[in-house]
Amino acid sequence: MAGLELLSDQGYRLDGRKATELRKFQARMGVFAQADGSAYLEQGNTKALAVVYGPHEVRGSRSRIRHDRAVINCQYSMATFSTAERKRRPHGDRKSTEMSLHLKQTFEAAVMTQLYPRSQIDIYVKILQSDGGNYSVCVNAATLAVIDAGIPMRDYVCACTVGFVDETPLADLCYAEEGGGVSSLALALLPRGGQIALLQMDARLHQDHLEALMEAAMTACKGVSKVLDQVVRQHLQEASVPSAE
Amino acid sequence: MAAGFKIAEPLEYHRSFLKENCRPDGRELSEFRTTTLNIGSISTADGSALVKVGNTTVMCGIKVELTNPLVEAPGKGFIVPNVDLPPLCSSRFRPGPPGEQAQAASQFIADVIESSEVIQTEDLCIERGKLCWVLYCDMMCVDYDGNVLDACIIALLAALKNTKLPEVTINKDTGSTRTSFCVFDDSILIVDPTAEEEGLSTSHLTVVTDEKERLCVVHKPGGTPLSAEKLQECIGRATARQREIQKLVDKVVHSVKTAQ
Repeated sequence: MAGLELLSDQGYRLDGRKATELRKFQARMGVFAQADGSAYLEQGNTKALAVVYGPHEVRGSRSRIRHDRAVINCQYSMATFSTAERKRRPHGDRKSTEMSLHLKQTFEAAVMTQLYPRSQIDIYVKILQSDGGNYSVCVNAATLAVIDAGIPMRDYVCACTVGFVDETPLADLCYAEEGGGVSSLALALLPRGGQIALLQMDARLHQDHLEALMEAAMTACKGVSKVLDQVVRQHLQEASVPSAE
Repeated sequence: MAAGFKIAEPLEYHRSFLKENCRPDGRELSEFRTTTLNIGSISTADGSALVKVGNTTVMCGIKVELTNPLVEAPGKGFIVPNVDLPPLCSSRFRPGPPGEQAQAASQFIADVIESSEVIQTEDLCIERGKLCWVLYCDMMCVDYDGNVLDACIIALLAALKNTKLPEVTINKDTGSTRTSFCVFDDSILIVDPTAEEEGLSTSHLTVVTDEKERLCVVHKPGGTPLSAEKLQECIGRATARQREIQKLVDKVVHSVKTAQ
């Protein structure tokens, strides 16, 4: 691969990070008034908004009602100005539909849907600026939004995209790294029990490397969970201060 | 107790406030909500702005591309506005193709751009008949609490000021502002409605003015009739609002420039 050197000899990546270092994390919860729960998350240059409505009555087809649990409805979309080239079809295309489905499956594993039979929870995620790791940033943002909405979950859902370059696993890939022929793996983890909610890899990787890559992904996700926890606690502290007065 | 009354009898609830000449959120009839503006936050877009009018939040992103001009207008470029009201901004919108409101809003903004000559499309032409710029302006509402179009126009203006076309320096454009009014119960006029107030009102009025204090667009889609004096009053208020917004946008653009 001519040109970009994804991992230098000293162990630095394109943006100056080390192999296991995550991007700069900034998050805000409760940013919108209309929604039941909302969160804004920035991981490096990737910016995502997540909004949760619910639990509420099932809208649309009555056939979707489940008598014993809530139905989770996810929609993933990208703003037209989020990528370097203007995105012609922000939603409805195959990639967005696939992502929406993955998000839905991830959250069905984590949210305690059996507490809300016959209802629906809507999770909408929008990418405002895309710089790699879209799925992971969406999952993290959606976790914060679901917590902000007060919907009980088994555990935080933390996600991270890792790649394998020069025998080294790289954590939290950015756009340049994702595209550069790197085998990337996206992992969504429930950190306390170490349970995997979703694992996605569609690149070629030798079986021997899989273990090392999974280890790196799990460690990265645990790192993300610590940051998410901090954000939630800080938000609660800020929210409780006015009522204490 | 008040919350129960609000849900059961929303019209009476609002009327009881209007009798005292104020509104449920404490504003005067002619008071606007606090407007905050943030520009240049999205680096993948060529120009971007985020506007909050009270709780209503609109994000505008501008992308520029090259294209061939139309045969009928070889010396003009294009400006393509698009308003997106996604389901995440409010539970009243369903997922799927753009609804009526979004499409009507996009068309309205296209009309405003044309009539107020915010950008001279001739400036967007690079080579007559061969190459011109097309500006895609995508306005996305992320929190809907009434008065979306006002916020869209402010966001669009600010984003345009923030846009730099390659080889051509910063866009010079005249500023235009839109003001929305709602008529309640056939006689009471309120400014900058929230989502509830919009739903309960009996008619709407929109006035767009530009920085030279000329009228660009006046739009009153049906509803209860309005007298000529009321209309003049509205136009006066719109002009005052125009000055406020112009100051705000200039201040923000200036602070971004000095920060760079």
